[in-house]
Order: sequence, then structure tokens, then C-alpha cells
Amino acid sequence: MLNQMILIMQKAPAIKNINRILLIIGALALLVVVKVPMWRIDLNAPQYPEGLRLFIYPDHLGGNVAIVNGLNHYIGMKPLHTADFFEFTILPGIIIAFAVLFISTALIGKRWMLTSLLVLFVIFGVVAMVDFWRWEYNYGHNLNPDAPIVVPGMAYQPPLIGFKQLLNFGAYSVPALGGFLFLGVGILLLTVNILEYKIKRRFKAIVNKPTVAVPLAIVVLLSSCNTSTTPVLLGKDNCSYCKMPFGDSRFGAELITSKGKIYKFDDAHCLKSFISESGKATNNSKIYFVDFSGNHSFIEAPQALYLKSAAFRTPMNGNIAAFQSKDSLRIAKQKFGGTQVKWDEIK
Amino acid sequence: MVALITTAFLSGIYSCKPKNTADAVSGDAAQKVYVGPGKYDEFYDFVSGGFNGQVSVYGIPSGRLLKLIPVFSVFPENGYGYSEETKPMLQTSHGSVPWDDLHHLEFSQTNGEIDGRWLFANGNNTPRIARIDLTTFKTAEIIELPNSAGNHSSPFITENTEYVVAGTRFAVPMDNDNGDVPINTYRKNFKASISFISVDKNDGHMKIAFQLRVPPIDFDLSHGGKGKSHDWFFFSCYNTEQANTLLEVNASQRDKDFILAVNWKKLEEYAKEGKGKKENVEYAHNVYDENTHSATSTIEKEVNVLDSKDLKDVCYFIPCPKSPHGCDVDPSGEYIVGSGKLAALIPVFSFDKIQKAIADKNFIGYYDGIPVIKYEAALYGEVKKPGLGPLHTEFDGRGNAITTMFVSSEIVRWNIKSLKIIDRQPTFYSPGHLSIPGGDTRKPNGKYVIVYNKITKDRYLPTGPELAQAAQLFDITGDKMKLLLDFPTIGEPHYGQAVEASLLRDKSVKFFDINKNTNPYVTKGEGDAKVVRNGKRVDVYITQIRSHFVPDNIEGIKMGDEVYWHVTNLEQDWDVPHGFAIKGVPNVAELLVMPGETQTLAWNPEKPGMYPFYCTDFCSALHQEMQGYVRVSPANSNVALTFSTGKNTPDSASTPPLLIQ
Repeated sequence: MLNQMILIMQKAPAIKNINRILLIIGALALLVVVKVPMWRIDLNAPQYPEGLRLFIYPDHLGGNVAIVNGLNHYIGMKPLHTADFFEFTILPGIIIAFAVLFISTALIGKRWMLTSLLVLFVIFGVVAMVDFWRWEYNYGHNLNPDAPIVVPGMAYQPPLIGFKQLLNFGAYSVPALGGFLFLGVGILLLTVNILEYKIKRRFKAIVNKPTVAVPLAIVVLLSSCNTSTTPVLLGKDNCSYCKMPFGDSRFGAELITSKGKIYKFDDAHCLKSFISESGKATNNSKIYFVDFSGNHSFIEAPQALYLKSAAFRTPMNGNIAAFQSKDSLRIAKQKFGGTQVKWDEIK
Repeated sequence: MVALITTAFLSGIYSCKPKNTADAVSGDAAQKVYVGPGKYDEFYDFVSGGFNGQVSVYGIPSGRLLKLIPVFSVFPENGYGYSEETKPMLQTSHGSVPWDDLHHLEFSQTNGEIDGRWLFANGNNTPRIARIDLTTFKTAEIIELPNSAGNHSSPFITENTEYVVAGTRFAVPMDNDNGDVPINTYRKNFKASISFISVDKNDGHMKIAFQLRVPPIDFDLSHGGKGKSHDWFFFSCYNTEQANTLLEVNASQRDKDFILAVNWKKLEEYAKEGKGKKENVEYAHNVYDENTHSATSTIEKEVNVLDSKDLKDVCYFIPCPKSPHGCDVDPSGEYIVGSGKLAALIPVFSFDKIQKAIADKNFIGYYDGIPVIKYEAALYGEVKKPGLGPLHTEFDGRGNAITTMFVSSEIVRWNIKSLKIIDRQPTFYSPGHLSIPGGDTRKPNGKYVIVYNKITKDRYLPTGPELAQAAQLFDITGDKMKLLLDFPTIGEPHYGQAVEASLLRDKSVKFFDINKNTNPYVTKGEGDAKVVRNGKRVDVYITQIRSHFVPDNIEGIKMGDEVYWHVTNLEQDWDVPHGFAIKGVPNVAELLVMPGETQTLAWNPEKPGMYPFYCTDFCSALHQEMQGYVRVSPANSNVALTFSTGKNTPDSASTPPLLIQ
């Protein structure tokens, strides 16, 4: 049985030479990753024109860690220390191990090694991102209740990737050089795998059309920019106009620009103010309201029906609720009173 | 292909990044702020210097620095605090304190409008109030406050300048009680004080009429009522948690602190009726007389104290969110705006509602014996989510208010009646105070707002780690506030008071009439100049006029003498001061003597020798020749006391050599 397995493995298809070279290049890139920052979180605020930066290296935290910790004490966030994260002790080792695996795959040259390597790499990437998100959640939510500045319902979880406003700071989380290299190596590994197998011809034909590849890349890789509505997360999302966290999602609205940027509002008043003041809403923007009734799904603004009543006591006194159907509006009117208004009167 | 995907990925990510708002200055800003050579600014802007203990005066709209007025800090530039006549200004019950922390300013008002007579300033550290004469731009009077520490909520006035009011920031044991107690007996032993200083209508002289004793909380800022609320005064308070350590955390715990409303008119009546208790204390009262050009310092021995616990209808607390800072009354006197620096909204209280709540006894309880009015009963409405960290509010006279937001670094304009936000503009960076000319009076001049920013960073050329703070000038005549100018400021402006230049310009004194000079050591003419010995004391009566001193050769001063130089400037013309300095005098600076003035420099020579003296302020074409010598001999020498000008020439044997051709 064992003999037969070895025979199969020895007879297994070998990797082409060009791909072996690519694997070596990948290994070298991974060795660079060990030494450079993998991820960065930029913090911008009006009184920090120079900007603040946090760099996450494979083995330590860099950048303005001390300044950020100083600011974070106001909101009761635990200070960041390299020693508190066990990941920093094992990450360099894992990356070097991958580099070694790349080199051995290149030298031994068996195709199945290539595929296993890809699977391992992707799993590692996913686990790393999930772990990162978990730490961000932990630090953003477990705040000291005795902190000087307490904003009810507010959490300070930085974005996993992309932009998020946290009080007066805009937090912007993106890969750094190491992260891009790691990603590049992953794409390289994927490409090598594809080139090895027969499906390469068909795949190449598709992939050579940028119109397919580009949106594919965008949709797959970007989690914070998409063109459909995303649910409002109570206590986590902030109104894009007034910056306060969502305490009640029933009066919410979303504006999605033609570029796919989503703005969330906790009150029709905020939406209206945002439209008139920010200059970011155009005729191509799509506006949605949360259905006050039913399962609170989103309705397109021009299609929705609106009831205005002081009894709603919305967060910003806009006092407008949106409804999917005439019946649900009528039922609400019986309960809350008020008058029906049109979309044109609101916007 | 890979390159394409990564580029798409990158552009996707980077398009999510928000752009920074560029600070756009409108096109005609330069024209609006340019004041050409020889032209005058429209406004005087008096700005507190904070930790420099001075007041700086700027011209608006040019932002040009016109003057630095010394108030609580010695000023070597002109001898303030160094001359014998001005040393008494800085006397306190602790001794001579040569510095203080000058936070806030307030113009004197008549019927709620700036009258251009005086400017009041507070000393935060060793509690004092100063009065500055706006005709001479000099500090005319300083009064110390007993039973006080941290004179922060000060110097705010009633709208007819009946009283200047001063509230304390640090609660402490009272002067008559034992101060040597454990610090954590704060809640039992410490108290706060609000002093009411009366101002004489004619000469401005200040007197502590009475003090109100209040619970040990921190008083931050205050303003007097106007019109219908004339009889009342409003103070923002924080640390109602009564913490004595780690206030950063411990004074930020409660959701609401207070605004204290004080019916000062009633308090005044009670004081007249003798309801107060006289306490023995010591505090200095220093007055500068512009006729004798000297200050006298007296130690007052008594203060009249009324306790809020005993007076049931004088004090009322109104809940106000989250460590309030600014406490501002709108021009009509109806609306009181609290700015809670940790709050996410701006509460606006109604005077009429407060009165009704008091009449209906709509209280939620008592705090240290003082009734606490129900929040909703006093509230007119809240400005929702104006920004982060509201600090100060002033009014533009058109029904709007403008508030500074420290944390979100902007100013926000909102309509008082509708509580709606009209406009917001970023400031660079983190504004503390803002001032509109007359913005805290009944008649604001809503042309400009000047915003004083605490953080400067990259706004000007760097000057090492210590940077000047920044001020920004906005045009607020239109719907949107327009940034016009950005200029650095001296010290730390905590407060500014701007006034139309026309109110002060024509009253500005040009020089002092020498005939009215009643300084005991005045020399009214060169013929009266002399040097007089009285045992170890020598008085030099010396005059200055372009370009010589009389006398300018003095001999016969001996070691161990106490020499007093009484310098009189005989000029009677505009802008001809003379300076006076002697070589090597420890602990004394120069004197800058104005035309018609007399100032005295005290000197104890520390070794025999020859000491030149000269005029230090460029006075004339022959300024460099305006000098003299004084000879100091050993204690037992018998050199005669002689003094002259032009007579003490060398003998003919020592004629200087001629140029040989």
C-alpha cells in the first residue's frame, strides 16, 4: 500500500520550469514580508493635519502607537502593546515556513504540492483576517466604563478594510507593503496553479478580458464598497450626517452614490441635510428608506410611501417613517396619527 | 493581467478614502482684511494673554498687534512691577507675586452696551481682578479676593457694571477655617466662593461688596442677565461629583452638572439688611493714581459673607449636560446657552420658563440645600448633534448664535429660535473661544467673528517646539461664514473683547499734563533738579527732555547708600517717551517714562566705581548722546555730593589732541 503511494507520487506530474522560477520569486517576496509592515491603520482628524499611523508588522506594532494610546485613554480603549498579541510571536515563523514550502515545492516540483500550498495559503489568509477582525472587535467594544468621554451606544471598532468615522477621527484600514506583497504572492500562486492545469486555456481566454477580471477583483476583494444596500447595524453603524450611532433603525435611510459608496442616516432630517450640504448626492445616487413596518427591509425612496408624525420622536425630529404599502401606512396612521407626505416634499 | 487586477483593487480601495476639506479662502478675502499704510482698523480687539499675565491689543480686520498691556506680570520693557510706583500693583496678602494667569476679559457696560471706560481682567492663580483704563491702556487697579482659589469664573459683569463677579474653580477651606486638613475631607471642609465687587460709577474704584458662599463644586464661566433677566447671574459648574483627585475621570462621571442661577439683586438686598456675616480676612487692594503716577497697596481686613444655605430664594441649580463650560446669555436676555464640553448637544434654557419653574416649585430635589429645577421645565430646546466638544457661544445680533467645537475643530452657527444649524466652518485647529464685537452684550456688531484656536501645528512657519496660538477672522455678514484671515497670537487667548475703534480712539490720552503731576518726587523744571542726602538715603530728582538729563554728572554717592532716582519726563508732546537705565542694577529693569510722568528706580550700589546711565527709548536725532555718569565712592570717602549738567568740564590741560595736518 505504501509502496504504491510512493510510486504514484513519484510518477505524479511535475511542475513546469517557468512556474518553479515564479515560486522562487514568491518565496523571496515572502521573506521581504517578514520585515516590512503588513497592514496600516491611518487616523485623520482636523487637529492632526500630519495624520496618525499604526503599522502592523509581522512581529510588532509600529507607527504612532504611543500617541494613539494617549488619545484612546479618553474613550476607555485598552492600550495597544506588542506583548499583548501572541500572533506577533508566531507570524514571522509562519511566513518563513511558507517561504520554505514555496522553495521546496519549486525544487521537488510535484503538482499536488502546488495545489496543497494554494489551499494552505488561502486558509491562512482567511484565518488571519478573521483573527484581525476579532481583535478589532474586542478593543473597540470592551471599553473602560470609567472613561472620561462616554458616548452612549458608541463603539470604536476600526474597519477591517476601508474607511470608518469614529467621533472626530476618520479611520482608514488598508494593507501596507507587506500585505500587498502577501496578496501578490497569493495571486502568483493561484496563477501558477491555473497555468499548470489544462483548464488554463479556457480560463486564460476569460481572464484576458479586463471587463470581467476587474469587476471580479473588486467584488471579491472589497467588502466596504458594494452597490447594494447593507443592513444597519445598531450600536455599530453611525449616521453619516450627524455621526451618532444608530439607536433605532426603523427610520433609517441609505444613499448609495454612483461609485458605490454607501451613506447611512438615522433620520430623514439627516438625509435631507446631507443631500443639501455635502454635495455628494447626485441624480445618479440611489436612495433607500427602511420600511417602518414588516421586516424593515429597504424600499427605494421614490417608491415608498411616507407618514409624518410627531409621535414618532425620531432621533433628529425629522419624524418621518417610510412604508412599503398603503395598508401598512394606514395601520401606522391609526396608531401614531400624523399626515401622509410625498417623496418630493421630503427630499 | 495580474497588474490589472491589482490596479483595480487599489483604485477601488483608494476611492473609499475621504478627501480632506481644503481650507478655501474666498477670493476677495485679501481686500477685506488689508488696512493700507496710514489707515486705521475698524475694531480694537483686546485679547487675554492667558499664562503670560498680559492683555494684547489687535486691530481688526488687519490682525496687526497694536500693544501689549502688562497687568499681572512684571514688564521689564517699561518697568511695570520694577519701578517704585508700580511695585505695589503686584502686592498680595502672600507678598509680591510677579505673575498671574489672565484668562478672561470683560468691557464695562452701561445699559448692556460697551461704554469704553474700563476693561476688567481676572488673575486665575492668586485670585485677583484688575481694571484697565482704556484712555491710557494701563492697569489702574488690582483687588485680591479672599476665601478663593482658582479665580476662573471671572470677571463677568452685570449689564450696568453694578458688579464684577468672580467665582472659584478650586474649592478650598475658607481663609478663617483650618486649611491644614486631609485632602479627602473635601466634601466636608472645602467650600467655593462667588465674590461680588462693586464698581464706582465715576472713578471705577472696586470694592468687595459681599461674597456668596456656595457648595464645593467648580465654577467655570458665567454671564449676567440682560433686559428682563437683569437681576440674575448664571454660572456654569462642573465637578458636581465633588471629586478631589483624578478629576479627568471622576468629574466626568455624572450625566448632568449644573448652571447656577443667582438672583444678585435679592442677594444685594439681603446684604444691605445685614443678613451676611463679617469675616476677618486679609486681601490686598492696589490702586494706581494717574495724577501721582503711583500705586498704593492697602491690606483690607474684612469681607461680608452670605451663605447660600441660609438664603432660600437666591440660588437655583439648573441641570446642564456633561461638564458645562460656556454659559452665555443671548442679547434679548431670554435664552441661556450652556455648552457641555463632553455633551453631544447644546441645551438652551428659557429665562421665562426658569422663573415659572421657580414659582411653581418645579424641583427634582436639592443639592447641598439649593433647589434643583427640573431640566425639562427650564429647557427651551436642544440643538442636536452640533459637533463634538461645544465650548463657547456668542451671538451675531440677528437671532443666531455661533458656538465653538473643540474636538471636531469647527464653529457652528445656529438659529436660537428654531435650534437649527445654519452653517459650520472648520477652524485650524481646535477652537477654544470666539468673539464677536459686542457679542455678549445687548447690541452685537455682527460683522466679524474672531476664533481663537488652541492648536497651531502647521499653520505658520515652525518656531521650534513652542508655537504661538492661532486666531482666525471670519466674515459673518452673509449666510455662510467666510474665512478671511489667520494670524498668530501672543500667549494663550482665553477670551477676547472687541469694540468699534470709534469708541476708544478719540479718548486716548496723548500725554500727561505736567502741571497736574502730584507725585511727591516730581521735578517740574530743570531748575528744580537736585540730589538730596538724608543719612544713607539719597534722592535724585532728575529730568529728561530732548536730548539731555539734568543732572547728568553726579558724584558723592557712597557704598551702603539707598539711592532713589525720581525721573520726570518734561516733554509735553505726543509720542516722546524717554527711557532710563543704569549699568548693572540687580533685580531692576529700565524705566519708560511718559511725557509728564514721574517714575522712580531704586538702587543700592554693590561696589564703588563709575556707572553710566542713559535714555533707552529712541527719542530724538541725538538720542545716542542722551546719557550721564554717576560716581560711587567707598563708604568712608569724603567725596562731596555734587550734581550738574554742562558744568563739570575737564581742565584745559587735558584737551583732546587736534588732528595734525
